[in-house]
Amino acid sequence: MAMTATEKQRYARHLSLAEIGAAGQSRLKNSKVVVIGAGGLGSPSALYLAAAGVGKLALVDYDVVDLSNLQRQVLFTNADVAQSKVAAAAKRLAALNPDIEVVAHDLQLTADNILDTLREYDVVIDGTDRVSTRYLINDACVILGKPLVSAAIHRFEGQALTYLPERGPCYRCLFPNAKDGQVPNCADAGVLGVLPGVMGSIQATEAIKLILGIGELLTGRLLTYDALTTRFDEFTVARRTDCAVCGEHPTILTPQDAVPKSKTTAAQRALISHSTPRQLQLRLGSAAESTTPILLVDVREPHEFERGHLAGCVNVPIGELAARMDELVASLSGSSRGRSSRPDVVFVCRSGGRSLQACEMAVGARLTAVPINLDGGLLAWARDVDPEFVVAPV
Amino acid sequence: MACTVRVASPLRSYTAGAASVDAVGHDIAAVLADLDTNYRGIRFRMIDEHDRIRPHIRLYVNHDAVTSLQQAVHPGDTLHLICALSGG
Repeated sequence: MAMTATEKQRYARHLSLAEIGAAGQSRLKNSKVVVIGAGGLGSPSALYLAAAGVGKLALVDYDVVDLSNLQRQVLFTNADVAQSKVAAAAKRLAALNPDIEVVAHDLQLTADNILDTLREYDVVIDGTDRVSTRYLINDACVILGKPLVSAAIHRFEGQALTYLPERGPCYRCLFPNAKDGQVPNCADAGVLGVLPGVMGSIQATEAIKLILGIGELLTGRLLTYDALTTRFDEFTVARRTDCAVCGEHPTILTPQDAVPKSKTTAAQRALISHSTPRQLQLRLGSAAESTTPILLVDVREPHEFERGHLAGCVNVPIGELAARMDELVASLSGSSRGRSSRPDVVFVCRSGGRSLQACEMAVGARLTAVPINLDGGLLAWARDVDPEFVVAPV
Repeated sequence: MACTVRVASPLRSYTAGAASVDAVGHDIAAVLADLDTNYRGIRFRMIDEHDRIRPHIRLYVNHDAVTSLQQAVHPGDTLHLICALSGG
């Protein structure tokens, strides 16, 4: 279909490029892209894809806008705080380019819904903040034969890789297996606000080149960016013949939920109790007289634990928790001897995120009747209870 | 026999924040052992109890992927330590 006068004006700088022109702009208009995660990476990706004239642009997220998001998530403004991310983003993108169709998927991707959610799109952009979700998306893209542009960030460092079905390595070829607890996220470690601007823009660039069929993609090449030293590097990544999803004998034939969280029902999540640092301090102070003992489980990595931990804590890194649940059950049996009731289990970590995940796993495994999360984690403990307490960086 | 080691962001808590440090050794195993002498615990974050590179870690000498800890390292080489990141 011929371009309108308004479209010719809007996309004039694209039309001037021999690599795009009217034919390329038409390709962009007929394309469908889904951006998963309306966060630091998803913000610039979605903004540039909307501005570029991608005809159908979908966003997937289930979160609401928090004030702490605004330092880097440039899709949102103060007025959007506490609003649904995808709803606010859809409004912003439609205002930027009313000629495109914007779709808001307000949902958490799971093994049950991911194939249907991604099926209609030509390109998938991964801007999520959990490694288990990255594997879920990667596996779904391999199974569906969809190109996937992945990026991830941490503090001052970013990575990007583009997967092309049958033509390059997938995310599992790069990192065959990683667990959420092994790979810190921005909530725990912090991130330079402008960093996702760089990496999300690279993702949008990759998607546009892919749709247009121009240039060279980051296929088989891992791009890394160190914002502190202003240094880009790239590393060759080969397809693994033993890759569990795209290898010669795949063992992953359907998407799988790696994190028990997605299998935890709302009713089960309601069983989790929450403690402030001061409440925990009072509880620990009266532990000797209490009929209900307490078991403290620190789910940080060993190197964090070694730098400082609460007295009497057991260290079970979150990535090992599922496998070591039996050990915890045995600890509970042992520590309840001579007492009238089983211990309460309190999970702690640096900022309260990993410990909440541990609580959900404990509910799923029926470890304890009511697992307790230390809200705000040890950072809150150091702030509210013990200023001398050393909280190791991730 | 010094080589440069470029340290991934999640491992910089071991190197006092340094993005780049020096280490010596004729192969990857020796370089990592030297690194661990100066930055206690960093090796275990990358290599498991069976001397295998952990699946969320990639090592590169210059731009060649490391597949064996016996791979040679030459003076002036750069060993890149790369970790999976999850932030978005």
